[in-house]
Amino acid sequence: MDDLLNVSGVSNDDSDEEHLTAAQVLEKLEQAWMNERLSPNLMECKSQIVEIMLEQIEEMEANIQRAQKGDLKISLHRLELDRIRYVVSSYLRCRLEKIEKFAPILLEREKSKSDDEPSKLSPEEFAFAKELVGNVDNHFKSSALKHMPRNLQNIALHEITSRPNLDHYVFLRVHQREEGVIVDPETDDHAEDRVDLEVGAQHLMRYQPIEQLVENGAVSLI
Amino acid sequence: MEPGDVEFIAEKELVKIVPNFALGKIYFISGDVGPFSPGLPVDVPLWLAIAIKQRQKCRVHPPEWLDVDKIETMKDDEIASEFFTELPNPHFCEVAQLLLTHATDNIPNADLLRTLIKDIWDIRAAKLRSNIDKFVKLQAGHARLDNLSQMEINTIRPFLTASLDHMYQLRISQSYTERNMSTQ
Repeated sequence: MDDLLNVSGVSNDDSDEEHLTAAQVLEKLEQAWMNERLSPNLMECKSQIVEIMLEQIEEMEANIQRAQKGDLKISLHRLELDRIRYVVSSYLRCRLEKIEKFAPILLEREKSKSDDEPSKLSPEEFAFAKELVGNVDNHFKSSALKHMPRNLQNIALHEITSRPNLDHYVFLRVHQREEGVIVDPETDDHAEDRVDLEVGAQHLMRYQPIEQLVENGAVSLI
Repeated sequence: MEPGDVEFIAEKELVKIVPNFALGKIYFISGDVGPFSPGLPVDVPLWLAIAIKQRQKCRVHPPEWLDVDKIETMKDDEIASEFFTELPNPHFCEVAQLLLTHATDNIPNADLLRTLIKDIWDIRAAKLRSNIDKFVKLQAGHARLDNLSQMEINTIRPFLTASLDHMYQLRISQSYTERNMSTQ
């Protein structure tokens, strides 16, 4: 099963998702949830996984509706649904928090990226970020900026919002061997610091050097 | 992450239960469980075991490692070893804690086990603190922490990562200033 997950994690081919069982999709969702909770910046949106899971929940709910009340099976199924729903909402809420924090920067990145680069925001999240930035902008203008001298009225939100701290230290577990990851850039008294990531090992290091590895599933944050 | 979230993840670990009811296979989204027949042990995720136990419909079979002799050996090994010993389960503390809370009557010597597990936790926490001290003094940019459980990582995370972030900033700005000084 690990192989399957890794393969679909590396390639961005959407059709991969169809070959996964519900349990495997759930596992991917839980992985994405943990990574999102622990990474300093917004990661790529796994909207497809979320959608598949929501469909599963709906289907299960319909089944429960049809079944008899008071059955032990039903209450256990309910319990599972609650657990999954918790993961989904915690995942989405965590993303919203980050979007609220970094909205202007995220929008700026969406504007400047090339077309084949995947977007980090789902369409809904993009609309949310846009509305938020628009409202903040309006608020600034109507409450303060319009009373300022004309040459001071322009404000670039993406330049004044704080950026995600990519140098944040994170804990990670390795799933795929990776050699010579540069963990510390060269400084005068240190030569550059490289480590090999072995499968199953746990490390503590800055987020920035391993950002891509988290995104493609070679390592996961813990 | 909240400690509750780590516990939530630990609840996916499998445990053995002996049900006292009969029920066909249950097709969960997270996988199939069962079938259940009275007296026959079956593997279920911990969250399910607790739910069934709360309804008093099963006995929980404690995992092999949750045993006074085994845990005592573990504690001795932990004291003797300079490094962290390998835990019998990646979520050792959480699983033990949950089982000892919800299935006390199915675990022999529960009180003794609770004390021993607390001891192991304390020994490891002390080791962790002294290791962090060493790590910080070395000004290393990277550490390898095999055999450390998620709960342990989670307890030191807020403090450790915040201070490492600060130290990194200081280190970078220091080397930046030095470089500027030397070019002048």
